[in-house]
This record gives sequence, C-alpha cells and structure tokens, in this order.
Amino acid sequence: MTVTAVTRPTGPDPEPTADAARPAARRRTTRVPVTVLASFGVVALVVAWSVAPGLFTTHDPAAGVPADLFQSPSAAHWFGTDHLGRDLFSRVVHGTASSVSSALVAVAIGVVVGGLIGLVGGFLGGLVDSVLARFVDVLLAIPSFLLAVVIVSALGFETINAAIATGVSAVAVFARVMRSEVLKTRSAVFVEASLLLGGSRWHVLLRHVLPNASRSVLQLAVLQFGLSILVIAGLAFLGYGDPPPASDWGLLVSVGKDYPLAPWLVWAPALVTIATVLSVNRISRWLRTTD
Amino acid sequence: MSSDYARYAVRRVLQAAVVVLLAYVFTFVVISVLPGDPVSNTLRNPENGFTEDEITRIIAYYGLDQPVYVQLWESLTRFLSGDLGVSLRSNLPVSQMLGDVLPSTLRLAGTALVVAVVLAFALAFAVQYLPPRLGQVLRSFPSLFLSVPNFIVGLLLLQVFSFQLGLFRVIDSETPLATFVAAVALGIPVSAQIAEVLIANLDHESRQEYAAVARSRGLGRVRLFWKHLLKPSSLPVVTVIALTVGELLGGSLITEAIFGRAGVGSLVQRSVSTQDLPVLQAVVALAAVVFVVVNLLADLLYPLLDPRVRLDGGRRTGSTTPTTDPVRPQREVVAP
Repeated sequence: MTVTAVTRPTGPDPEPTADAARPAARRRTTRVPVTVLASFGVVALVVAWSVAPGLFTTHDPAAGVPADLFQSPSAAHWFGTDHLGRDLFSRVVHGTASSVSSALVAVAIGVVVGGLIGLVGGFLGGLVDSVLARFVDVLLAIPSFLLAVVIVSALGFETINAAIATGVSAVAVFARVMRSEVLKTRSAVFVEASLLLGGSRWHVLLRHVLPNASRSVLQLAVLQFGLSILVIAGLAFLGYGDPPPASDWGLLVSVGKDYPLAPWLVWAPALVTIATVLSVNRISRWLRTTD
Repeated sequence: MSSDYARYAVRRVLQAAVVVLLAYVFTFVVISVLPGDPVSNTLRNPENGFTEDEITRIIAYYGLDQPVYVQLWESLTRFLSGDLGVSLRSNLPVSQMLGDVLPSTLRLAGTALVVAVVLAFALAFAVQYLPPRLGQVLRSFPSLFLSVPNFIVGLLLLQVFSFQLGLFRVIDSETPLATFVAAVALGIPVSAQIAEVLIANLDHESRQEYAAVARSRGLGRVRLFWKHLLKPSSLPVVTVIALTVGELLGGSLITEAIFGRAGVGSLVQRSVSTQDLPVLQAVVALAAVVFVVVNLLADLLYPLLDPRVRLDGGRRTGSTTPTTDPVRPQREVVAP
C-alpha cells in the first residue's frame, strides 16, 4: 500500500520548468463541483465525529447489552451490534478520533520533518543536499508499510506509535516535493531581485520560497492524509494499534472478520473508511486542478 | 551515447550500492537505538530462570554488551559477507528461514504484478475506447481502488471465492487458484497506480500532432492505439512498475495474513510479535535490495528502450520532445 505515493527512487529531479499562466483554467474552476462539496461534507462529518462523538450517538461504545448480540442494522442500531452486544455505530463514531487524529499526526510529522529536509537541501545545495538526498533515497528504498511495521514494533504497539511510524514513512515524499519546489523558486527572477535589493537569506526563505512551496505541499498533505488513514487502519488491522477496548476502524474490521455471519461488523467500518479516504482524495484532486 | 551510457550506468550502480548499505544501517539504528531490549527482556523473565551469570554470558555471546557502533560494524560486515545472523527465537539461520518462505511470497508478488499490469492496461484501453460516458466512470476507478484499504479487498475476495463459492479452502493456501485470488487482492491497488499514469500518458499522446496526422490518414481508433499510442505511453510505465515493487512487498504483509499464507509477510508478523530482531533486519535489508535492484534495472533499461532520453554527463535528463512531463505518476503531485 504505499503509502507512498509513487516517486522516483533515485537520481536528481528533472529541472522544473516555469508553467505558463492559464487564466482560462482559472475561470473554469471558480465553481466548486458537486462531488467536491459532498467530499467536504463527509470530511466535516468525520471531523465532527472525532471532536464530539457524544452528540451523534447516545449508546456507550464500551457497554455491551448481552441480550442484543449480533443484531443486524436497524433503526435502533444503525450499524448493528457486535459479539458483546455493543452498538457498532457508536463504536465507529468513538473510534473516529483516534483513526483520524493519528493520521493528522502522521501528516504533521511528514510535513515538518520532510519539509525541513527538502527546504534545507534545496536551499543550501552542495554537500548538504547530496547527503540529505541519499537519506531520502534510503527512506524510499524500504517499502513504506514494512518500514512503518518495523518502527511501530520498535516503539511499542499503540496507535500513537503507529501514527509516528506512518509519519516517518511519509517523510521522503514530502522532502522530495519540497526540494523540487524550493529549487524552482530559488532560480526565479524575483528571488534574484530580492537578494539584489538587500534581502537576507532568511528573508528570501520566509517571504518567497516557503509561500511558493506551500501550495504543492498542501496538496500532498491532503493526499497523504487519506493515505495515512489507510496505513494506520492497516496497522490497526494487524493489531499494531491500541488493543481491543479501543475501536479504531482497522481494528473493528479485524475483530469483525471473525464473525462471518454478521457481515455488517466488517462492512460498516470499512465503508466509513472508504468514504472518508475517497472524499479526502477527491479534495486533493480538486486542489490540484484549481491551480 | 555509449560512453555516456557507461558513465550513467556506473553512477547508478554505485548509487544503488550506497543506498542498500545505508538502508541496512538505518534499519539497524531504528531497531537497536529505540528502547526495549528483547534478549535481556526474555532472559530476565523470571519464568525462564536464568542466573545473573548465565545472562551475562548470553548477552556477551550476542555482542549486546558492546557499544552500538561496534555491534553495527559487526552486523554490517556479516551482512556484506552474506551472513544474515541467527534468529533469536528459533535458533535457525535467518537465511534458511527466509529461503523457506521466499518462494511463496515471490509467487504471490509475481502473480500480483502480472494481474496489476493486465488490469491497468485493460482499464486504460477501456477508458479510451468505450463510449465517453462509460469511460468517464472508468476514469474514477483508479482513485476508487486507491481509497479502499487492501485488507477490505482481501476480505471481500476471500468471502466470495472461498466461503461462498467454495473454490478453494484457506488451509490449502498454496493452490494456484488461491494464489491467484490473493494476488488479485494485492494487485488491485498497484494496478490503480499504473493505470493512473497510463491513462494520463494516453491522453497526452492522443493529443500529439502525430496522432492527429494518423487519424487524418483514416486510421481507426483501435489501430491508432496499438500502432502509435501504446508504445510511447507505456514506456514511462516501466518506471512506475519498478516503483510499485515496494508496495507489493509491503502489501504482502496484510494479504498473507488474510489468506493464511506462509510467506515473508507472515514471517515479519511473527518476528514482530516475538521481537526477533535479526529476522526483521534481514527482511528489511532484503526488501531494500529487491527494490533498489529492480529500480536500477528499470533506470538502466529505460535509455535503451526510449532513444529520446538523453544522458547528460551521466545523468538521465528526460525526453527531448517538450512534454508536460507525462512520465511522472500523477500521485507525485507537484508542479502546479
């Protein structure tokens, strides 16, 4: 699952070329497509679930009702109940916070660490750049899911560690994108002008290079957010997240698969995951086309 | 060209060797510097009843009383001489354990790669040549495939083919059919990545002048596809396929767990739960070697396949025709 986005493993990035302005494309996309609006809706709902799960469900996610084992989905239990008679909808909603916020942690690690590596390497160039580029090559050479598994096994099986591991495995992608953006801006005429006018390197870095790179990094961050949800769900599925009283989406699927006669135990959390990731990916694609 | 190519090849081979060595070091550092010491944890477990003296001797045997850099040096020299060490749990040589499970994973990953490539080409062809309305629907398939966790695909296929149709049993996970179904589960996300690039390239090529000329000569759409568009569009895919090797290796962890296959992925899972560090270290090193070698081959093959690629002082600089960079997979997301 790679996470990782596909990137070239080694070798220098091709020289970036200036893109022609496309006013026509800009005009065309001022209206937000319906699917993108729907995607924002899904993401907003998921965020609301993770911030205030209590508003959406009155059932206790941990308390089982022995009389209600394996109820199929109904008006009382939207997603049915599990092997202990716990309301699955409530478990999904309460598991959102850890599933989604851990993906945010992962992306934050990727953006900060990877961004810094790319920024320093691209801006300083020379030996520093070569050393950092080799480091990024190394990170890319290890399959990202395997890397995440090794890191999480070294740190211990907890969801926060799964998030850290996912973040580390995403560092390389961010470093590459940031580096190529920095290289593109550094050679631009307005940067040269700014230096000639007496701007310091810090000034150029903060005022010109970073703002110009932020757009591409934002798109990548959104894409990685969706991907991180998948990776963390995969780690939770293998049992490398918080143990069962928790209800991460991947863990719910993993537990639910042992009860083939209650297929909703797998499908409800699975569909929630797919809808979330699909929406995030749609938003990322939309951001890319609105440039 | 030839001396340029030789310089390019040497440069890439050296780079690849350095990356493999550094990957080994990196894994070693991650595994050994992070807290938790499985050997002494096991030894100090009161149930095992070792005396303090025995513990010291065993720890000295594994070299764990040495400073980290000495351990790293010894581990690295052993790795370079082809010795992958001994498992902490089963006392078998790691190379033997890997040798036992490797064929199963190679069968799975190889089949998955074939499935992925066939699926991607079929999808790209369908997008171009089915009615536009249907093609538009198919265009969303890659991003749909990429949004589905691969364990869901695995569970769904297992449910349908094994439990409901009864075509294979999970206990005989090595039958050709079982391998094929597992390979489909593993290959679907990979095929989505290949298809994304292929579709973008086909769109790009079909807008080129030569395609318009061919159409104006009266060439049918299917003939145009096979004769003119397919080759330039699928060359960049070589690079993408090489990049997805890592995904196949990583994804096999989950796929093997679901289909109950005894492969490298399940070996990793077992080693993770028992903290068998030499095995983990060896698997990561092996995965890095496979990934680097496959990508090295792809990079070395590419200038030979595509004469438009120029090699500039040992660097590959991309095709000479001005393009909007169709080579790059879309997911890399750069260049607004």
